[in-house]
Amino acid sequence: MSTSEPRHAGTAPAFGQFPTALRFSLRNQTRNRMAALLLLVFVPVWYLLMSAMAGDESLRFKLYSTGEMLVVDGGRLTLISAGLNAITMITGFAVFDAVRKTLAFDRRLVFAGYRQSVLVAAKTLSVGLVTTAVAGYAALVLLVFWRPDLAGWASVLAGFTVIALTYGALGLLLGVLVKNDLEGFFLIIMGGLMDTFLQNPIGNPLANKPVLQWFPSFGPMQFGVGGAFADTALWGHLALGLTWSAGFCAAGLLIFRLRTRNAAARA
Amino acid sequence: MTSVPDPGAVLEARDVHKSFRAHHVLRGADLRVAPGQLVGVVGENGSGKSTLLKTLAGTLPADRGEVRLSGSLGYCPQVPVLNHNLTVGQHLRYFAAAHRLPGLDRGRELIRRLGYEQYEEKPAGELSGGTLQKLNLTLALLHDPDVLLLDEPYQGFDWETYLHFWDLVEDLRERGRAVVIITHLVFEQDRFDRLEDLVGGRLEPRTVSGRDTHVNV
Repeated sequence: MSTSEPRHAGTAPAFGQFPTALRFSLRNQTRNRMAALLLLVFVPVWYLLMSAMAGDESLRFKLYSTGEMLVVDGGRLTLISAGLNAITMITGFAVFDAVRKTLAFDRRLVFAGYRQSVLVAAKTLSVGLVTTAVAGYAALVLLVFWRPDLAGWASVLAGFTVIALTYGALGLLLGVLVKNDLEGFFLIIMGGLMDTFLQNPIGNPLANKPVLQWFPSFGPMQFGVGGAFADTALWGHLALGLTWSAGFCAAGLLIFRLRTRNAAARA
Repeated sequence: MTSVPDPGAVLEARDVHKSFRAHHVLRGADLRVAPGQLVGVVGENGSGKSTLLKTLAGTLPADRGEVRLSGSLGYCPQVPVLNHNLTVGQHLRYFAAAHRLPGLDRGRELIRRLGYEQYEEKPAGELSGGTLQKLNLTLALLHDPDVLLLDEPYQGFDWETYLHFWDLVEDLRERGRAVVIITHLVFEQDRFDRLEDLVGGRLEPRTVSGRDTHVNV
């Protein structure tokens, strides 16, 4: 149902729908103190712990696009894994929490006359901006522990950005789908852990097996490692990661659209 | 079910049915509200009041029957639906954008009349239950709708706010707005033009009421 505005027809609206929705979506997604704390403290601590645990033994990592088996520094490889893992948790949690808590409010906005497509676009852009910022931060903190060359670092940043977009989109999907907080947190944490750690050969018998290609972090991990250790830009793998992101995002926005639409059309 | 609309009614529901699995909540509810009318829908807990209001508002589709609305609608849900990270002022701007309003004059006036202007910069998450309810009501009234559906609107109000609320309703009525208030308790029946009891999933006009209730059916 739309609450049409005949009384205000002809007068210019004081607030544009898109900029207003974008501004308040951003504000909403950046008010999660737990996610901010995770970002500031967990990211460096996680890098520290994971690289200490991995040591500097050499590991064999398979680059799928070339079939090449790289022999890489385990500590550095694990830093990439740790960054990817931290990003999955922070972006997934922040977006899930923000989307879930505002679903009823968004319904009310649509009921009041907000165009769904505008709200959806603003929410998507805001998720994109916040998750990209998280990826940028994680890539910057990485430099404290390891200084790859610029192209290598840019590859890691690109991998981080894609995984951030992917888990941000997963957070959006779970935020409109699951019934309670615990389900969502569990799925994000377990999903992110499984996904990112299975890609790392440290103590992992599944590493370098083809099954890993079916996980969302496969593309970003391949791109990051290829760029940082083999001077290769595996664009196809980066695109694969983006496909996961687009898939989660499309499913989430479709469900969002269904759950915020008005029940009845008015005469 | 007849489909000929009543020309004098701004909101009209005919033979509305709604069930949740085997539980038949509404069993042919009829309601007619004219401009400037204040109608109270009274029912016990679990009688289906909120279901009726959601059906009237269009947030819940009826299984059978017809709801007709002419003009704009404002709906105040029983539980405040707000964003705890946004301030009172940001809520106003968000809903002004939703309704494409030319400014915030009406919102500011409502805040002043409900007496919570000191909280304009406070996030909703830091407001008391009563103030949240004021904001909830403000958002429903922001675009000065032709028809207002209010679900237990004065829950949590102190006495002074309760009186301010009725001043606002009087003002709306005088300006020809139709108001439907759903409540399980009617303190002052004479404030309403008409009371309808929701019993057995149907609305029955209350013909005998206390004091000087005037009934315009």
